[in-house]
Amino acid sequence: MRTGVRISVERRLSQPRWLTVAVPVGSVVFAFLVAAVVLLATGHDPLPSYRLLFDAAFLQTGSLDQTLIAATPLAFTGLAAAAAFRMKLWNIGAEGQMYMGAITGAAAGLYLGGRGGPSAFVIAAMVVAGCAGGMVWALIPAILRAFFKTNEILTSLLLNYVAGYVLTYLIFESESYWRQTKGFNASVFPTGKPLPPSALWPGWTIHVQGGIVVPLGAGLALLAAGLLWLLYSRTRFGFEAQVLGDSERAARYAGVRVRRKILAVMAVSGAIAGLGGASQDGDFNHALDGDPNGLQKRGYGYTGIVIAALGRYNPFAVVLIAFLLGGLENAGNTLQGPSFPAGLVGVIQGIILFSALGGELLIRHRVRIGRRAGTVARATTPEPAA
Amino acid sequence: MKRRKPARAVLLLTVGALALVSASAGWGRSNTSSAAPFKVAWIYVGPHNDGGWSQAHDEGRQYVQKMLGNKVQTTYKENIAVGAQFNQTVASLVAQGYKMIFATSYGYVTKAVAAKYPNVLFEQATGTLVTKNVAEYFGSAEDTIFLSGMAAGAASKTGKIGFVVAYPIPEVIRHTNAFALGAQLTHPGATVRIVWTNSWFDPAGEKKAAQSLYQAGVDVLGQNVDSPATGQFAESVKIPWVGYDSDASKFAPKSWLTASVYNWGPYYLKRVKQAMAGTWKSGFYYGTINDGFTKLAPYGPGVSATAKTQIAVVERLIESGSFSPFTGPLYDQSGKLRVASGVRMQVLKGGTNSLYGMNWLVKGVIGSPKG
Repeated sequence: MRTGVRISVERRLSQPRWLTVAVPVGSVVFAFLVAAVVLLATGHDPLPSYRLLFDAAFLQTGSLDQTLIAATPLAFTGLAAAAAFRMKLWNIGAEGQMYMGAITGAAAGLYLGGRGGPSAFVIAAMVVAGCAGGMVWALIPAILRAFFKTNEILTSLLLNYVAGYVLTYLIFESESYWRQTKGFNASVFPTGKPLPPSALWPGWTIHVQGGIVVPLGAGLALLAAGLLWLLYSRTRFGFEAQVLGDSERAARYAGVRVRRKILAVMAVSGAIAGLGGASQDGDFNHALDGDPNGLQKRGYGYTGIVIAALGRYNPFAVVLIAFLLGGLENAGNTLQGPSFPAGLVGVIQGIILFSALGGELLIRHRVRIGRRAGTVARATTPEPAA
Repeated sequence: MKRRKPARAVLLLTVGALALVSASAGWGRSNTSSAAPFKVAWIYVGPHNDGGWSQAHDEGRQYVQKMLGNKVQTTYKENIAVGAQFNQTVASLVAQGYKMIFATSYGYVTKAVAAKYPNVLFEQATGTLVTKNVAEYFGSAEDTIFLSGMAAGAASKTGKIGFVVAYPIPEVIRHTNAFALGAQLTHPGATVRIVWTNSWFDPAGEKKAAQSLYQAGVDVLGQNVDSPATGQFAESVKIPWVGYDSDASKFAPKSWLTASVYNWGPYYLKRVKQAMAGTWKSGFYYGTINDGFTKLAPYGPGVSATAKTQIAVVERLIESGSFSPFTGPLYDQSGKLRVASGVRMQVLKGGTNSLYGMNWLVKGVIGSPKG
């Protein structure tokens, strides 16, 4: 061993509770300081910029309304990722599962709504169909993983592209059931067939800020978070899944049926993502959005992975972070313009996310400067999730 | 190990953040007094400096700002997706007091959005939705694209030309056909091979498309997409290139032939002035070569003197109204006669035989009109 100052990162043996508060707060403060340097360097006054950011995200008239629109799909994809990651099942496919849910959800809405069923029934059917669509798509990598040991990261990721092409095909390259084919406008530019009124999801209007509409999807996301929390903290199923995530061998000894667990957890994860897709139809687009410049450009499924990590896979934390990130996204949209390039908005968002994720390291590990302590266990494997 | 309570930590964090936010809620509510300027916004599918479509629109915006000075306040929102993000952007613009919104791509403005903001004036490029507060605008780029196709045909030795295209929709099909017909005028029997990118702005995808066309043996490239990536590729393999939307010669100075370019500024200025005066009326504007809406960008080094003369002659015929690229006889890919001799296609009337409804490719185009 050489002498000299060395910096080493060691796992903490115990994690003081204050750290779990101090580190996230510190990370965000740090992010704003770093971003301030960037803002100053590009000739923008940081404080007014931040004021605008908060204004646009949460304060100004209609801002919360807009934030909820951005946050709702993120809550679904965040929960979908968290549900699978809890068991160390790396489902990267929430993006594609969401598209599939949007397709099946829209199909249910168009078909049943078109036959004049009562609205509550049509919407319930859309919820079920959306869940089923996402679930089926998630079961493909699940079966491959459970029976053939295929790496689910690759299969679920690649299926996102397949789902994207299916979505584009349905609206742009075929005269499918989902596509609007009547009228001259429909021939000028392909669009989805509008959902009948009974298939449009209601929202609750809160009369502040000029009326905030809480979409049904936001309520369903909260409900899904509650169920997920119950599943993982109050049931044998959830306990077994976490044991399996920590050590497959231990789980096998304990009699956990591994294949069945993989299939079930992926199904839950896919169903939540699929529900997010149905919410896109019913809450926001009111038709299947097959435009490659629409839903597919948003990357909700990938942002969901970041949200799950930031929320440490805790369902309620995931919903909360989805809300905050939704605000950040909405604010970014409002902030950008001739004097504030969209790229700069992206840089600030990136710095905040990067700091928040980087800060996590300090909760689980400590940085030691100087001589190395001999007996402390070093981090060699990532720590099991809470 | 002690079980952490992350939810509580995050909750505390949020409560803290909200407290901070509410404490500062008094911020920034500065009033807008002293003859408030008329606020107009533009919404772009790609970056405002994409070197093509969105850049042309942004030049139009800057023109309006320059001509009207502090009587107007303009802004833009770039990279906005259709659907929820567009609606969200409109909502925040309206909340900030924007009275007029130019949505520069089709698919943006829906009936629902227009009805939700009856006092906001919407203008949408390339679409067909005309309501009380939604006007549509575009122009006969097919005329100038035909001319740019003539330059491509003249520059090709083999008669094999590649064309990078966005979506399989009538607008792009019409432009592709105009390009092919122009190329066939200066190079009889020329073929135009197409590759779809399914995006208006996708530099990586456009480059890949250009590459595959080059591998298929084309010796001139053209495009109906927004970025100059095709041109940069053409420059790297030293073959001529016809651009689109904006003068992008600086991206490929040697390969550059010309391009059909748009001049949106005068239309924007006229409409903003009308909106300010309260005389704005919804409508469908279709600009032409004569009112300066479209024109041909300056030629690059690869356009021969003969080609320039030929183009100038046809341009004059178009200006005088005695020629239009979409005049029969026109044959589709299978060789079937689609438009009878002497019949001129109209913009909106005629179903699939109208400029806005065309869903078939002309003879000599290699590729599917269905994507």
